[in-house]
Amino acid sequence: MPLTPMDIYKLLPKTNCKKCGEQTCMSFAFKLLNREKKLEDCRPLFEEKKYEVQLKKLKEILKPLEKATETGLIVNSDKCNGCGNCIVVCPVHVEKDPQGAGSGRGPTISDPIYRIENGKLVIKNMHACRRYGKSRILCVVCRENCPTDAISFLEG
Amino acid sequence: MICTACSCLCDDIELEDGKILNACERGYKHISEYRQNRAKNSVNGKEVDLDKAIEAAAEILKSASSPVIYGMDTITVEAQKLAIKIAEKLGGYIDDNSSFCLGEFVEAILKKEVPSATLDQVRDYAYVIIYWGTNVYRSLPRHMSKYTYYPRGAKRNRGYDEDRFLVVIDIRKSEIAKLAKKNAKFIKVENDVELVESFLKAVEGKASKYDVGGVIREMKRADFNVVFGGLGLKYGLKGNYGLFFEFIRKMNEITPLYFLPSGFHSNMRGFNETLFEIVGAVNKFSFSEKKSDKAFEFSELLRRNAIDAALIIGTDPVSSLPYDVSRNLMAVKKITIDPKNTLTASISEVSIRSALSGIESGGEMVRSDGVRQKLRPIEKTEYDDVYILKKILEGL
Ligand code: SF4
Ligand code: SF4
Ligand code: SF4
Ligand code: SF4
Repeated sequence: MPLTPMDIYKLLPKTNCKKCGEQTCMSFAFKLLNREKKLEDCRPLFEEKKYEVQLKKLKEILKPLEKATETGLIVNSDKCNGCGNCIVVCPVHVEKDPQGAGSGRGPTISDPIYRIENGKLVIKNMHACRRYGKSRILCVVCRENCPTDAISFLEG
Repeated sequence: MICTACSCLCDDIELEDGKILNACERGYKHISEYRQNRAKNSVNGKEVDLDKAIEAAAEILKSASSPVIYGMDTITVEAQKLAIKIAEKLGGYIDDNSSFCLGEFVEAILKKEVPSATLDQVRDYAYVIIYWGTNVYRSLPRHMSKYTYYPRGAKRNRGYDEDRFLVVIDIRKSEIAKLAKKNAKFIKVENDVELVESFLKAVEGKASKYDVGGVIREMKRADFNVVFGGLGLKYGLKGNYGLFFEFIRKMNEITPLYFLPSGFHSNMRGFNETLFEIVGAVNKFSFSEKKSDKAFEFSELLRRNAIDAALIIGTDPVSSLPYDVSRNLMAVKKITIDPKNTLTASISEVSIRSALSGIESGGEMVRSDGVRQKLRPIEKTEYDDVYILKKILEGL
């Protein structure tokens, strides 16, 4: 189940006190999911005892965030058999390494986003992913072509 | 190096800092575990040196009145040739896994009854790509990413979602069926024969049980389409191969449609081609009767207790054949040549340890599309299949 800003918002103090530097708790929830803010930035959560249970739940649901890369991408190695579909379909590979990773062969560039090591998909260079950085777009091409749903994104 | 774990024979495997790169999981296991569970040279369960084991093997074969040579789908073409020579010299039977796998399909291609193509041509030109009765995600993991649907090709350079049309035909929603999304079709088939008939009817513009008119329309748009046939198709046809090949030929009157087998063993196609060159048949051949026949299938020979010695090379019938067939092996004198200590090796009168083709020994293998690959082993062992089979041949 992908995590949504709503799931997070429900557990925040919902007071819009702005102590986190955001105008509203909802926008804090968004930024939290995008890893632009940390849970610790919402000080009331930690300082006020009445939020104890909510805080515990929040920590629980935010756990996958630690496993995820900066783009929110998670690879479940147990489900991956190294078929390489996700590598060949990636538009960045097609553009930067048309003869290698972009055509299903081993990469010929030194910094592909993905490659297969010991039979499993590993992330080598997340910064090249279209989901990364300021002008990111919500690309899901790799996930869409994984036959076993081994790739997921936090935001869904 | 070239991975020999399946008939894709991927040629881009690299070793770097103790890691194996680009191989899929199956290939990785094949390569990384090659030292594990190795066979021993033994005679009647007692460990002996290689020469003694080879001698004992030659003795068994010489004194047999009805020997069979079986397996050979994971050894090189050079070794296959020697194995065929041994069968010829003994006047024995020879058969491989293709008799219950895709032998009939390869035979039709070699006899030019249906047009076929190479995987490189598929990558460069194919528009409609049909996977029929084969879940390559499991059997040939990199098939789609390296050779067929996904890579951009010379004439198909806009990517899979625009330049290809994927059709997956299976009895269930397999992993690759899940990939049939945009510009694609999944056909859940209950009866393959009826589906072939539906295709034939659709060619004439008539409707029938399965709605395949759209697929035919797509095929007509292109000058290169391809069907990959797997075990599901073979068994689904229930022997009606003629009808299926008829469909391929009929289609070719309207638009080019090529046929390729999608079998799994690394060099099964090599065995079929090698035997075909020598005797004109792809498997289940008797050198004493000089013909190929269903009755000469390894499992049939066992069922009828028609053999008294078996030289089993690189395959493990004890684990792959049903028990009511394989139990008849107990009455047969068995020689296994295998890198691994398989179940069959462990109950064989003579077990000979060989090298792993592609890792410890070189030679040639034939990819599922007929393209020949020169193996690039990372080690070199003198005692490979070629050495062992040569010695046995000399000892006869
Ligand atoms: S600090 Fe916490 S409670 Fe205050 S606005 Fe931010 S998220 Fe809401
Ligand atoms: S999200 Fe898009 S750009 Fe990023 S790795 Fe996947 S396919 Fe490539
Ligand atoms: S598509 Fe899925 S199974 Fe294939 S390599 Fe990528 S993550 Fe692994
Ligand atoms: S697809 Fe086959 S040949 Fe290629 S790496 Fe995987 S097991 Fe080896």
